[in-house]
Amino acid sequence: MFLRQREPLIFERSVPGKRGMDLAKLDVPAAQDTRPAHLRRSGFDAMPELSEVEVIRHFTRLSKWNYGVDDGIYPLGSCTMKHNPRLNEKVAGMPGFTDSHPMAPDALVQGNLELLYTLQEWLKEITGLPGVTLQPSAGAAGELTGVMLIRAYHVAKGAKRRVILIPDSGHGTNPATAAMAGYEVVELPSLPDGTIAFDDVTDPVNGKVRKGLSTLVRELGTEIAGAMITNPNTVGVFEYRFQEISDLLHSVDALVYMDGANMNALVGVARPGDFGVDVMHLNLHKTMSTPHGGGGPGAGPVCCGANLMPFLPVPVVVRDTVKVGEGEVPRHSYRMDWDQPRSIGKVHTFYGNFGILVRALTYCLSHGSDGLKAATLRAIVNANYIRARLKGAYALHIDSPSLHEVVFSDTNQARHDVHTLDIAKRLIDHGYHPPTIYFPLIVPGALMIEPTESEGKDELDAFCDTMLQIAKEAEEDPDALHQAPTLAPLRRMDETTAARKPVLRWKKA
Amino acid sequence: MRYLPSSPVEDRALLDIIGVPDAEALLVGIPEPLRLKRELDLPTQGSEQEVAWQMMALANKNTRFCAQFLGAGAYDHFVPSAIDAMVGRQEWFTAYTPYQPEISQGTLQHIFEYQTLICDLTGLEVTNASLYDGGTACVEAALMAVRVAKKRNTVLVSRGLHPMYRDVLNTNFDPHDELHLVEVGLKDGVTDMADLQAKLHGDVAAVLVGYPNFLGAVEDLTALAGPIHAAGALLVSVTQEAFAFGWFEAPGKVGADMACGEAMSLGNKPNYGGPFLGFLAVKDAHKREIPGRVVGQTKDLDGRTGYVLTLTAREQHIRRDKATSNICSNQGLVALRANIFMQLAGPEGLRGLAEQNAAKAQYLRQRLLELPDMEAVPGQPFFNEFVLRYKGDMAALQEACLKESLLPGLDLGRFYPEYAGCILWCATELHTRQMIESLVEILARVPATV
Repeated sequence: MFLRQREPLIFERSVPGKRGMDLAKLDVPAAQDTRPAHLRRSGFDAMPELSEVEVIRHFTRLSKWNYGVDDGIYPLGSCTMKHNPRLNEKVAGMPGFTDSHPMAPDALVQGNLELLYTLQEWLKEITGLPGVTLQPSAGAAGELTGVMLIRAYHVAKGAKRRVILIPDSGHGTNPATAAMAGYEVVELPSLPDGTIAFDDVTDPVNGKVRKGLSTLVRELGTEIAGAMITNPNTVGVFEYRFQEISDLLHSVDALVYMDGANMNALVGVARPGDFGVDVMHLNLHKTMSTPHGGGGPGAGPVCCGANLMPFLPVPVVVRDTVKVGEGEVPRHSYRMDWDQPRSIGKVHTFYGNFGILVRALTYCLSHGSDGLKAATLRAIVNANYIRARLKGAYALHIDSPSLHEVVFSDTNQARHDVHTLDIAKRLIDHGYHPPTIYFPLIVPGALMIEPTESEGKDELDAFCDTMLQIAKEAEEDPDALHQAPTLAPLRRMDETTAARKPVLRWKKA
Repeated sequence: MRYLPSSPVEDRALLDIIGVPDAEALLVGIPEPLRLKRELDLPTQGSEQEVAWQMMALANKNTRFCAQFLGAGAYDHFVPSAIDAMVGRQEWFTAYTPYQPEISQGTLQHIFEYQTLICDLTGLEVTNASLYDGGTACVEAALMAVRVAKKRNTVLVSRGLHPMYRDVLNTNFDPHDELHLVEVGLKDGVTDMADLQAKLHGDVAAVLVGYPNFLGAVEDLTALAGPIHAAGALLVSVTQEAFAFGWFEAPGKVGADMACGEAMSLGNKPNYGGPFLGFLAVKDAHKREIPGRVVGQTKDLDGRTGYVLTLTAREQHIRRDKATSNICSNQGLVALRANIFMQLAGPEGLRGLAEQNAAKAQYLRQRLLELPDMEAVPGQPFFNEFVLRYKGDMAALQEACLKESLLPGLDLGRFYPEYAGCILWCATELHTRQMIESLVEILARVPATV
């Protein structure tokens, strides 16, 4: 990587007359121009002209400025950057899948439908919840679907209710989602261990009292439509009072949404449907190893209890069993059931990010029940190994037992005026992608590390050694850390100017 | 398990440093009663060989076709080999969202180039790093229009919009009691101007119109923009077939204030409907209301040009419940495919492909109309999709085509009762003359009206 210091914008390489694509010979008469004159395409201003080789070199060179999972540990907390098996890619590229048309009659896409049905069955067993939709394209889309299910449940009972409760440690998508579904967000305070506070919490700095869950449920009661809770929470700690939280919310018929971003800690070990969760999403691009793709596509299936199943998005994939003679193996056929009168409607144009769902089922079949559990346990071991090796050098803000990720704070290094951002940028110089930083907001200068199950001992040791060296550098040469990174293609970027005077596309000079 | 770097000796060493006897001891934070006391009731692990075979068997259960004459929002186009080769590089497909710019310049520069090209296609000034798909792009466009228009709460939606986009709009507007979606009818296959004018009023924030619409017809954006702008509303063009941008003028140049839709055609296969590529392009004045990730150009400490995610004050991870949208993960890798596609095609390729699509569709229509049971319906200029009325038996037609491994066009009656008995046909550059002749030949043999 980083072989070249600069690859210009493709527009600067464009030369009129070059072609990167040859068209087939036209074997029918040329098109008649039936367009009204003002609707004829007049031209392009930026579309570049290059040969195929130049385009390939451009994207190859640019790629070398990226860091991928195959380059090494990608310790982004809450993002679950695990190995992306090549089998999954190969399967998703099978023409039987890629050429299939979403408007084709069900009888012609039985393979797709069986695949979707099978994946649903896996997700039901993994979550302990009987209803599934695979339509949402990403975690946030899953959240929105889930909250709309909650809303439909209450509307069916006569009132949509007003409030969604969300812990202050939650992902930003949670409050944004609740707002998009027409709800008001009321924040739940955390205890020092990151778990949800039942009692009111007094801020030690400004003395402000923040109402705990018990107070909010008492005061808001049936105004509460539900709560969105990440479990394990964003500091990697299991909400150990989850059952009590569920019971309390259910006592006012408020529903429990679980953000499944951290499900990699629970698969095969505990099931949300067994501890009171009504509805949740899974991030298949986290838990089920589908690639992150530089920002997507992901998939955010939603699993729900029987109370919410009537409201699931249409269509629902169902299996019909064909009656056969005695002693014969029953035959199944699959179809999209569009007849769901209480459904919230469609949440994706077609049936979701199908190609991602193909990869997810491939992951499931590869792992099996035993492999899924082994992966969970290994992810927890890896995170706790890093915790054991780095605590002391880095401050552990929360000392509760953590699962698949560990959150440190920069308070030790801050004494030398070295902060989380400096540590993160210095990791780049050492050849690592930094962890998630400054999140969750409840930990000052958070460094949130999630190694996943993909890392072996050597890789973990090398990463920990580097982190320890950076802690030492912070004491001995803090200024060097303020300068980091110095070995990447670029140094720190001026993000303020980028936002104040935005340049969002190239323009011809 | 081949994906786990596990061995008895190393596993022991890890546990010893942690100071626990076994991995299960680390589950102490999960209360005993909440743990699963059994193994998951699922098959056990499969070797690569076994799983590849299982998945291949599923893929083979789908019917394969010599030719598909079906579009309706998912188009089969040629995909240059360079795209799969590039996207298959781990640096692209395994990377995370480029939150750490110094180690993500590849992704960031690509998105900046992609944004430039989407703006070029649409004739607008600002776009984002992608949205999920055409339907959700319509939702984001409509919600953004409501924010931009301020204190206007009605969005008019042409009946010519993809019916599933309209379904997704309905789902997402349903929770907002204060917002109203109102349908504008069709006349001769395009938005009915009289109905539009009757429904335009001071509360209308935006009007969403297909360009071309679901029936394949081009809407005259210039003519629609007059009354829409006079009423103080925004015109949002919705394009489900991005190849049309090589044929029809960029919506931003003929009156659209926002352009959104589906760009899967640029370098992707139909893929049973996903992952696809939603896009939304807007005017510069509205840039701070756009949803999703946006990349901007800036300098590093040494004055070198680079790229960062910017205008993040709009986004959920900063603004939480006041964000412009909840979107986080988008369709990054599909946008990369589109970017590579557009760079390979260039202006001549996009124009040439569009001309071929138009030519093939015109030829298909001409040949189909030679059949006694096919009849023209009133319509406007089209691109690569068009509607014909079929006087014969729809089921017999379907059956005859499938028997010869041809997938016919869409039976429109399912979505438009007023078009019962009509078929939406599609042809692209992939349809050879021979495929078209085979289709016509097969249809000629379909038994006459029952």
